[in-house]
Amino acid sequence: MHERLSFHIKRDSVLHRLNPLTKLVLTLALIFLAFTFPWYWMPHLLILIAVIPLSLLGKVFREFWLTALKLILPAAGFLFLMQAFFQPIGTDVIFKFYFLDITSESLMFAFKNAMRVFVMVSAFTLFLLTTHPSELMSDLTRRGLPGQFAYVIISTLQIIPQMQAKAQTIISAQRSRGLDTESTFFKRAGSVLPLVGPLVFGSLVEVEERAIAIEARGFTSKHAKTSLHEIPDSDFDKILRWILFALIVFSIGLNLWLS
Amino acid sequence: MLHVSLFKRNIMNINIKDLRFAYPTGLEALKGINLAIDSGEQVAIVGQNGAGKTTLVRHFNGLLKPASGSVSIGDWDTTKYSVAKLASRVGYVFQNPDEQLFSRDVLTEVSFGPRNLGYEKTKVDELVKRALALTELSEKTGTNPYDLSPTWRKMVALASIIAMDTPIVIFDEPTTGQDAMNVARIANVIAVLKREGKTVITITHDIDFCAENFERVIALADGRVLLDGPAREVLGEEETLAQTYVEPPQLTRLGKKLGLKEIVTTQEEFIKAVVQD
Repeated sequence: MHERLSFHIKRDSVLHRLNPLTKLVLTLALIFLAFTFPWYWMPHLLILIAVIPLSLLGKVFREFWLTALKLILPAAGFLFLMQAFFQPIGTDVIFKFYFLDITSESLMFAFKNAMRVFVMVSAFTLFLLTTHPSELMSDLTRRGLPGQFAYVIISTLQIIPQMQAKAQTIISAQRSRGLDTESTFFKRAGSVLPLVGPLVFGSLVEVEERAIAIEARGFTSKHAKTSLHEIPDSDFDKILRWILFALIVFSIGLNLWLS
Repeated sequence: MLHVSLFKRNIMNINIKDLRFAYPTGLEALKGINLAIDSGEQVAIVGQNGAGKTTLVRHFNGLLKPASGSVSIGDWDTTKYSVAKLASRVGYVFQNPDEQLFSRDVLTEVSFGPRNLGYEKTKVDELVKRALALTELSEKTGTNPYDLSPTWRKMVALASIIAMDTPIVIFDEPTTGQDAMNVARIANVIAVLKREGKTVITITHDIDFCAENFERVIALADGRVLLDGPAREVLGEEETLAQTYVEPPQLTRLGKKLGLKEIVTTQEEFIKAVVQD
């Protein structure tokens, strides 16, 4: 019932075993390369040589494409149409619709941008599928990210499903007291207070309890904290991060130099 | 009056036929339950966590609908009536009072249920007054429920369901986290409801409370009825109960250790049995 709000799928794969920071850098590298590398076919190539192999490597091929397509198709499709129609570039008109015209240049441009968005969303999806949020946060906290920041992220991910479960229980409890949540609009409008009241009170009480609970475990203590759960960070991770970082710098540099 | 109550008693039986239910996660919580609970019975439902106790009782007031099989309350099949409608027949006190209290004062909170059922104002007032007296809240009608201690909030939750005057009342773990005084109050509420001829169904982990207040005990294990019968018989089945991680009451175990001939569940029975030996 207290499922976290996350895409994470627990599997044993090379990608899952990578250090969370490495995967974050990998994601950013894919995005930067797709957006800044000054070669038209780069985003397309990245999908072929990075995104697809990585989804196979992470053993999440099926889930990845299901999630990614659901997220991307509407966004990338909309972007493609908007840019294809409204990008005022090129002269080679291939399609005309009243005042709208599509040129082969605008089509190419739109296709590239849709692919860039595709790379961005799919890279993040892959990252979220193979990285547990609390693993990422504890790794980042160990590297100096303020604990408060990590707490806000993690508790939000936890609280939303908990609030959903709680809201469901409250609705059940009030319906059991004869509250009509199924009939006419006016009857339902009157049922807001009995539902929202306990949810808000309860959540406030919970926030306080949470604060006391984490403070009892020394949350604001200034001392360095140890962790029961060690997150591995191999030499391979470190080298990979540097290579990826160099690629990002190279791509941005090339972009600036050519423009 | 007598005629009316007899009539009610006859029609408010709970009938469960081959009830199966699975949650969307695929977990099969009930695997074919057959039960009949007559009007006016005091039934305790016991069993380990996840045995299906709450899932079962949520079918009684329509919060859950059977995947297959049927549940009927009197002449109503629960699939054909909304929860709000079924609330006039089955009152359900949830485990955590904080999940239902929202009013500024105890009086408004307790009147919420009966008003929803559409009773006349005089009847609502009378029912509320009676429920408040029964739960010993008469002095606290103007207090905000959130200013009360958790044990008293529990009593407000009880009162708010009792005031609905339903022929069937369900309690989900009423004694969890309550002090001895409040457990005694809850036991008194159940005794009064019994005298009024109401059906009381209680989910509980408090096996001593169960032994002292209920005539019939149903033990669930893994979505099936493991044992069902008079409290004394069911609570004496030490080995079978162990399958669902329920221990017989302290006195029953002591009685067995002392080698008493009969199975005892309450103090009176225990003393009587010891004297006889």
